[in-house]
Amino acid sequence: MATRIFEPVDAAGVATALKEAAGDSLSVAVRGAGTKIVPPASDVVISTAKMTRSIDHVAGDLVATVPAGASLSAVNEILGRERQWLPLDPPRGHRATIGGIIATNDSGPRRHRFGAPRDLIIGIEIALVDGRIAKAGGRVVKNVAGYDLSKLMCGSFGTLAVVTSATFKLSPLAPHSQTVVATVADLKTLSALALAVSRAPVSPTAIELQSPPHRLLVRFETTEAAAAAQTAIVKDLSVSHGATVTVISGQADTDAWRAHDSRIFSASGTIVKIAVLPTDAGDLLSSLHRLTDAAAIDCDIAGRGALGIVLVRLGGDTGAHAGIVGELRRDAVGRGGSLVVLSAAGAASDTAARVGSLGDAEPIMRAVKARFDPHHILNRGLAPWD
Amino acid sequence: MRLCRRDGVPFVARGHGTGLSGGALPVKDGLVIGLSRMNKILEVDIPNLRAVVEPGVTNLEITKRVAPFGCYYAPDPSSQVVCSIGGNIAENSGGAHCLKYGFTVHHVLGVEAVLPNGDLVHIGGPVLDAPGFDLLGVIVGSEGTLAIVTKATVRLLRRAEKVMLLLAGFPSIDAAGEAVSAIIASGIVPAAVEMMDRLTIEAAEAAVHPNFPKTDAVLIVELDGPASEVDELFAVVEGICRTCGAATIEIAHDQAQRDRIWKGRKAAFAAMGRVSPNYYVQDGVVPRTKLPEVLRRIRDLESRSGLRIGNVFHAGDGNLHPLICYDEAIPGQAEHAEKVASEILMYCIEAGGAITGEHGVGVDKKGYMPKMFAEHDLDTMQLVRCAFDPTGICNPGKVFPTPRLCGEVPGPYRAHPVERAGLAERF
Repeated sequence: MATRIFEPVDAAGVATALKEAAGDSLSVAVRGAGTKIVPPASDVVISTAKMTRSIDHVAGDLVATVPAGASLSAVNEILGRERQWLPLDPPRGHRATIGGIIATNDSGPRRHRFGAPRDLIIGIEIALVDGRIAKAGGRVVKNVAGYDLSKLMCGSFGTLAVVTSATFKLSPLAPHSQTVVATVADLKTLSALALAVSRAPVSPTAIELQSPPHRLLVRFETTEAAAAAQTAIVKDLSVSHGATVTVISGQADTDAWRAHDSRIFSASGTIVKIAVLPTDAGDLLSSLHRLTDAAAIDCDIAGRGALGIVLVRLGGDTGAHAGIVGELRRDAVGRGGSLVVLSAAGAASDTAARVGSLGDAEPIMRAVKARFDPHHILNRGLAPWD
Repeated sequence: MRLCRRDGVPFVARGHGTGLSGGALPVKDGLVIGLSRMNKILEVDIPNLRAVVEPGVTNLEITKRVAPFGCYYAPDPSSQVVCSIGGNIAENSGGAHCLKYGFTVHHVLGVEAVLPNGDLVHIGGPVLDAPGFDLLGVIVGSEGTLAIVTKATVRLLRRAEKVMLLLAGFPSIDAAGEAVSAIIASGIVPAAVEMMDRLTIEAAEAAVHPNFPKTDAVLIVELDGPASEVDELFAVVEGICRTCGAATIEIAHDQAQRDRIWKGRKAAFAAMGRVSPNYYVQDGVVPRTKLPEVLRRIRDLESRSGLRIGNVFHAGDGNLHPLICYDEAIPGQAEHAEKVASEILMYCIEAGGAITGEHGVGVDKKGYMPKMFAEHDLDTMQLVRCAFDPTGICNPGKVFPTPRLCGEVPGPYRAHPVERAGLAERF
């Protein structure tokens, strides 16, 4: 049977499509802009492409309600007119949709300051497989009435329900941005410098590792004077770690961050996200380099230096990827962390499990899934245990 | 809990019993599982800014333990000297500083919890981004209806380099409200913005003598962060307050002065006892832009009802705490106060707000849930409830009005198998 594609314009359309599919026991894939999730093979595709209308921005409340199909850049263009923004900067953020960002709980360098989507979302509207439409949360930042289903949807990969719109708290746009770029000799120093900056009396929006070359990018988005004062502190710290330091602003700043954002996802290879304690990141990256050196493959690193979140792209001979991913996962899990495969190349795509162990929480996760999607028709293959 | 499950006995977890919505009240024919003795801070990891604590640890105890390292635990409900972390997790407690720093849900990274079936599970942990569904996001704030948390990993923050606080006296609530809007519009996110009206100022003065100006409204604005930033933005805030008509501005120059002002604010609830024999604390939220309108309605209600209503609230996030004064010695007045409190909640709902910002639904407000949420919304929340607690023994009767049994689907009423077998009655 050929795949049927629905492009509803609103929540009611999504609900109808879901109900029909469920009634015929058809599997459903949900598609946003396709920047992160490759929709699994399915009988029905529900695309949010036409759910882009009515972005409701209340500047005085610092909140906005946005439809699932709207792209982050379209949303931020509108919010920018009132000098506000939804402070998320996931990879490929110019195209990524709000629904997709919620489904993946994806974020970027400024997570350091603003958090992940689950930290910013305050209300949600979802369509359930039985065709009902439900809301949770609201349009006020402070609200403890009922269960917070909006957070449950974040990172659920569209396997519980289809997000149709969401409300977020926003941030004011900063008047000025500048970045300290510190280049150091090795990964250990890089990680140590990132931790030192996180302990300094400064308030950056991002503390970002990158390699190669081994660089720390520390971004300040505030008033010009406050940025200058904090830049001086980070400069001194960096020099004391033996770094070569430059400070960039204006177009150079914009360009450097754009290049950083695309370094992992612009080339082919296996891409993984590793999470460990911030103090373990240096050791973990050092063992990564031993592994890639031994296999003679190249690798690219970008990571949240103070959060313990690292993105790695393995390049070169894909035959070595599965082994390295396995080693890295053992290392990360041994440290109480995790490794998630975001995109796999070569043999790794067959052998490496996407997520790894869910521990003793797996049964309750399965129980939640069974209540929301009892016949497992939504985004098959993308549940946490798949 | 395994025994409860075996014998179908309902239970409720209880921390230090400071909740304001009755979420920890015992349930009929059930057990109370007291967690006060699980009161140890198990681990403090300063380099990674984490602490692992048992649920009976008081909120402020964490900050006390890590203060020597220049750190603190951010959520600061007014009851923080006595309330427990387990209770904070159940209620998703906020406090005065959540405008900038968020709520308990933003500061708890992981929990060890016992599910209603007796299983011990670990959700999240010291490392961010544990794979799988964000169950932590629903457990925090579930008012003890999904699980009992037995350990929590919390995030610590480093003290800001500089904290500055001002106390501004305004000739009217409206003028103070304008100042709040102007501060937010200028792109500043203060650490806290609190407002008190004449009645609550008087009460606080009688109780703890914070020496607040005797005006119609005071605004407390606190900024924190790197010194360079705070100095610059604080001048802007001060200018805004003056432009908006502040008659007095006191700038706190040291910790003692800040403590005195915060004491005046945090004592406001209890202080009402000095000006009224009894009072009813309400907790509702409105969008910040609707504050003037809702406050006007409350003032009208005050003159109509004949009961004095004090207003103390987190102005930055629109979280109102009207205090309705009454005298229970006067027959019918307690009921009257309850009705007035109820009407205020309706104003919040009509303004697009919420029926509770931090005190929780508990038993107190479950009747309002259908006013804020549609039937489908509540049914969907029940899906989570039924996944965790299919037999309905985990703090039943709280949060939701007469929940459906978990096997039931919407539509005409059909008897549950348990009911048909004569083992349970419809509730």
